[in-house]
Amino acid sequence: MIKSFIYPIKELIKGLLTVLKNGFKEKVTLEYPEKKKVLNNNFRGKIKYDKTKCIKCKICQKVCPAKGTIEINETFKIDYSQCIFCANCVEFCPKGALTITKEYELATNNKNELIFNEGIN
Amino acid sequence: MSIFHLIFVEYLLKLNIPEWLIFMLWQIIYFIFISLLMILAVLFLVLFERKYLAFFTRRKGPNRVGLYGCLQTVADGIKILFKENIMPKNADKFIYFVAPIIVFAPILTVYSLIPFSSDINSYKSDIGILLFMAILSLPIAGVLFAGYSSRNKYSLIGGMRSCIQAISSEIPIFLTLAGIVILTGSMNLSEIVKAQHSFSQWNIFPSILGFIIFFICSLITLNRIPFDFPEAESELVAGYNSEYSGMKFAMFFLGEYALTFIFSAYAATLFLGGYNSPFGFYIADLFDLTLITGEIIRNIEQFFWLILKTFFLILIIMWIRAAYPRFKTEKALELCWYIFIPLAIFNLFVLCIVQYFRGSL
Amino acid sequence: MMKDSNGIMTKTSERTMLINIGPQHPSTHGVLRMLVTLSGEQIIKIEPIIGYLHRGMEKMAETRTYLQYLPIVDRIDYLSGFFCSYAYISAIENLINTDIPIKAKYIRTLTMEMNRISSHLLWLGCYLLDLGATSPLFYTFIEREKILNIFEDLTGSRMMYNYYTFGGVKRDIDKELLIRIKKFSKEFLKAVQEYEDLITNNPIFLTRTKNIGILSKEDATEYSITGANLRACGIQKDLRKDSPYLIYNNLEFSVPTGTISNSHSRYIMRIKEMKESNKIINQCTDWLLSNIEDNEINTKINPLTIKPNGAALGEVESTRGLLQCYIEANGTEFPNRIKWRTPSFYATQAINTIAKGFMIPDLMAIFGSLDIIMPEVDR
Repeated sequence: MIKSFIYPIKELIKGLLTVLKNGFKEKVTLEYPEKKKVLNNNFRGKIKYDKTKCIKCKICQKVCPAKGTIEINETFKIDYSQCIFCANCVEFCPKGALTITKEYELATNNKNELIFNEGIN
Repeated sequence: MSIFHLIFVEYLLKLNIPEWLIFMLWQIIYFIFISLLMILAVLFLVLFERKYLAFFTRRKGPNRVGLYGCLQTVADGIKILFKENIMPKNADKFIYFVAPIIVFAPILTVYSLIPFSSDINSYKSDIGILLFMAILSLPIAGVLFAGYSSRNKYSLIGGMRSCIQAISSEIPIFLTLAGIVILTGSMNLSEIVKAQHSFSQWNIFPSILGFIIFFICSLITLNRIPFDFPEAESELVAGYNSEYSGMKFAMFFLGEYALTFIFSAYAATLFLGGYNSPFGFYIADLFDLTLITGEIIRNIEQFFWLILKTFFLILIIMWIRAAYPRFKTEKALELCWYIFIPLAIFNLFVLCIVQYFRGSL
Repeated sequence: MMKDSNGIMTKTSERTMLINIGPQHPSTHGVLRMLVTLSGEQIIKIEPIIGYLHRGMEKMAETRTYLQYLPIVDRIDYLSGFFCSYAYISAIENLINTDIPIKAKYIRTLTMEMNRISSHLLWLGCYLLDLGATSPLFYTFIEREKILNIFEDLTGSRMMYNYYTFGGVKRDIDKELLIRIKKFSKEFLKAVQEYEDLITNNPIFLTRTKNIGILSKEDATEYSITGANLRACGIQKDLRKDSPYLIYNNLEFSVPTGTISNSHSRYIMRIKEMKESNKIINQCTDWLLSNIEDNEINTKINPLTIKPNGAALGEVESTRGLLQCYIEANGTEFPNRIKWRTPSFYATQAINTIAKGFMIPDLMAIFGSLDIIMPEVDR
């Protein structure tokens, strides 16, 4: 009878102490704009286009899962408002004209700024 | 008559100001003091809670606005003032408008009942202990009005829950209050404080059980986290204040924190010796001071002790908030009716015996 | 007078209230809408309404090549993307009859088990938030963050991995990362112990979760519920043991099984599952560390040219249960039809059966314990 009263109280106190113990561990907050995470080279961010290497084979256009993100006509056009950053285009580019960068802060007020056009040789 | 009042009256009489005006001015000064105290307490408490919870969850908490984020709540308050007031189309307009005021005004009123020091006490009522609880049953009506008038089912359930829990939590609270009255022989809050002049005389020692019951039941009254049914976020979205925005929401929000503060002060007054120093003497008395400055500094010290005890209780309330999940509504009611009421009656019995032997000594 | 679900007229004295919980509600884990009939606070009937997160995943496959569909697959269940990827890729590997290198198998197992832990951690935090406890959410997210950082360094993305490829994995795992995983698994054990201290025997948690939302064996099998929800009933059914894929044959682990499936036992199951996954992670990292010079991680199939024919089924024991992907190919680069069998979809149906008669606070405790995730239900 008494045990059935004391056991829950013991557990409640254990809970309080666990929370308190966590308070003295090191803080995990990363104050974002000032301090940024160190990114690995694998990180899939914005895509960089090198027009000297491009042979206009359109494989990037073919492997892109979000249709219409990459368009190659007169220019190389990539629309970051649609891009899902899977880096398929980079992986299958036969000449290495596309490379991934670590840039991920693409937020903007103007949607048109997310569409990148670059001339092809 | 308090020393402050005497100084004030003396000064104004010299300026040939009529007595009735002095009386009114004195009340206004008290009102300003209480409002300022409440606003400062709330501004501090909101920030404090955020920082404190951040401490428990290994975060840094707000640290952008002002030094270490000290102006965060001010910034939030300004933001909320400029928010649009949105009223549901089918709301019962008058009640919808009046509900936040009904919640807020009584909480401001009870600030006048607490003796913050031997002289800072605007209303020394002979039934202060009862009046405090009686006035605080009004906000529950406000919450119910808010729940009903927003024409939102979540709000309605929240309002109903608030009503149910208030009824069941107040009975154990009143039973423990009866214990205090037995111990101190008075219903006047300042008399109760005076009766606990030394550390060993604090009501918490004979009435430790009563204190625990009072503390847990006050968590229910305050809607703090193990018992926050009326606004249970994961169940009722925001409960009774789902449909409120802007200043009206701010009133509910302010009210909640102001109530947390004043209830802790009430508990400190009843059980932890109020403004009395835990050493049995005041540090101000150690210095050789003139009568008036000594009195003023003593009052400030007493105020400090009460605030310290209040914050000790608030610390525990927020610690509990960090650790536990929410109770089930009906389990909390069972806790009140089946466990706390019998225990409170037992506590009353024990206190009667204690008082009998104390009286004979 | 009003009609109940069987069309029987009931007296208006039993007044009921219809309330919409969701699609925007803090504890419906996304966008589930539950049309709840209440009498007071008691639940009389729940009607789950799905489809608010429907993205046409199955139809999308028909207009995309096998390679184009691959990055999208991760988004079917965004909390455990590796499982979806694996189900899809193993179906295609069945179609084109490839066997993947042993190292790739180990890497796949390792990543999937870590994914299981990260998904369970998110579930744990959110479930306790549903119950009103705020701190555990942060504690579980701290641990989950470590896993996501490891995934980010390995695959290049935190949640949408696109890491598996036809016939293996895309990148090799390096030694430094394996040591980090090893360190994580050591820290994780301590963290789980902390969660258990905080929650498992907490009397408030026990009153909230015990004896509610009881799922009987019959109901579970009738609704074809799988995963931890089923195992909590006492039916030991786990694809990793029943028909081991990858290298689960070589690994030592047990499948936790309960006796009665209520909210509390489902919680216990998931905690135990995390511990078992941790064991598997340890074994995999040990193997990978001792075979660090092995460089063969994929069979170098050109994904651009695959044009399979026939039909195949890929299945995996995912975080939430049995996840299957059925592909019907027609010899071109586009599939004829892809069908996903997602475990949450089946668990959603059971809500009415198991939560009827309880109160609103219980509904959250029951619904949360089923570990339903909406993108997987709607696809």
